[in-house]
Amino acid sequence: MAAAAGPAVRCSLWQRRSLRCGPGPRPVPGGGAPLRLCSTQAVPQAGINKPVIDRIIRVDHAGEFGANRIYAGQMAVLGRSSVGPVIQQMWNQEKDHLKKFNELMVAYRVRPTVLLPFWNVAGFVLGAGSALLGKKGAMACTVAVEESISEHYNNQIRTLIEEDPEKYKELLQVIKQFRDEEQEHHDIGLEHDAEATPAYSVLKTAIQLGCKAAIFLSERI
Amino acid sequence: MWCLSGLFGSRVGPALYPLLRVVSKGNQQYPPLRALQASAVLRRASDEHKKEPLASSSQQHFDSPPAGHQPEQKPQGPHPSYTGQGGQESEDYESEEQLQHRILTAALEFVPEHGWTAEAIAEGAKTLGLSVAAAGMFRSDGSELILHFVSECNSKLSELLQKEQKLVQLGEAEKKPIDEFLRDAVEARLRMLIPYIEKWPQALSILLLPRNIPSSLNLLTSMIDDIWHYAGDQSTDFNWYTRRAVLTGIYNTTELVMMQDSSPGFEDTWRFLGNRVADAMAMSSTASQVQSTGEAVVQGLMGAAVTIKNLAGLNQRR
Repeated sequence: MAAAAGPAVRCSLWQRRSLRCGPGPRPVPGGGAPLRLCSTQAVPQAGINKPVIDRIIRVDHAGEFGANRIYAGQMAVLGRSSVGPVIQQMWNQEKDHLKKFNELMVAYRVRPTVLLPFWNVAGFVLGAGSALLGKKGAMACTVAVEESISEHYNNQIRTLIEEDPEKYKELLQVIKQFRDEEQEHHDIGLEHDAEATPAYSVLKTAIQLGCKAAIFLSERI
Repeated sequence: MWCLSGLFGSRVGPALYPLLRVVSKGNQQYPPLRALQASAVLRRASDEHKKEPLASSSQQHFDSPPAGHQPEQKPQGPHPSYTGQGGQESEDYESEEQLQHRILTAALEFVPEHGWTAEAIAEGAKTLGLSVAAAGMFRSDGSELILHFVSECNSKLSELLQKEQKLVQLGEAEKKPIDEFLRDAVEARLRMLIPYIEKWPQALSILLLPRNIPSSLNLLTSMIDDIWHYAGDQSTDFNWYTRRAVLTGIYNTTELVMMQDSSPGFEDTWRFLGNRVADAMAMSSTASQVQSTGEAVVQGLMGAAVTIKNLAGLNQRR
């Protein structure tokens, strides 16, 4: 059985495991996906600084969820254009990020932010809206968002290192890897003439303000 | 002595420790004296270092109440000096938290008789060999006693669910279907109220006092989260909230039904609980049916629109 006893946290973070044990899907009060009746290897809650880790995972999960929706919005408008494949590839990486944070969220028993339905809509609208400004507009949006996210991940890495680099080694690895990939997206956006967008600096500032507000709210609510 | 402690309230409670010992009715003067001195020494030591060394033990039993206690007691005046007694320290000293914990646990057995009141706490303190004025450490409405009890019940439930989970993981027990799991967990938790059921309505009303709401809400939400965690919930979207809200509703309504249930063995309550859980399962399958019907309807409308466009000749490429 996949869920054998023992500290298998690393496995749950890095491997894909099928946790379907027990009889098939059944209705669940409150709706949603059927429950997996055996648990993932939960991270022992004893030594960690729960409030700090809670915030970090909640806001990162919200961020990746929002990024997913932004790329979905961009694809909806520009999917068939020449930048379609580029956006699709970045979107696939964001999907991987979201999956990883879903696993971390379950392992650390963190609650998701209440604002998820709102980020669902807002992200799509931002993506679609920026794409309607043209390919350069979409790239400008990507640059702005990815720059915000990279800075935010860097702050989190600093926080975790200040706390205890050994205890949070895996989490640090994950965040560092994701920060590097977001930085790549940022550079791809610049390569595709993001800065040539009309009103580039206004657009960029507005989007980054929105990201800061989203980060502030998702950490707390 | 009694009105004295009421007058000063819990702010000066700990400062009355030497008085407690002096007027203690029990014959065991010396061990409690040592424990007191040691606890005062500990308190002074802990004030010097910022961190409370035994905070972790209190975390397990109280979620927010100690946070309420600590700020209350730290800005106190000069500490009582014990140099007169020779400043003894015993090996097995305890902190204030642990002492309060012991008093409250001892007080629980007097609740059926005295209710959730300072009298019960005083009786509990007496059984530990302390003076009845020890009840002055706590608020006079018995809130801490109730919160302590709720916290203890939640810990017991958590242990029970963990044990069951281990049995399932080792293959020694069958995995329960989700409705049975929820029903059993809520029933187990509510059964812990049975010895105190007469006085529980009083406790509920005290827990709803505005100043107790943060703590009681905290305890309730962490208990519900625990139940869902052991049930295997791995949702990371808004379902996380819906599921917990539904279970909280089930728990609260069942608790209220239990208050005025006079059937033998509370069978009416358990039947009510079973029906509510079944309702919740039905509600979720209804919700998914509504969603799929809605999607089918939308598809049908889109198809109709395309057909009409074709018929009107609007779809032709010229």
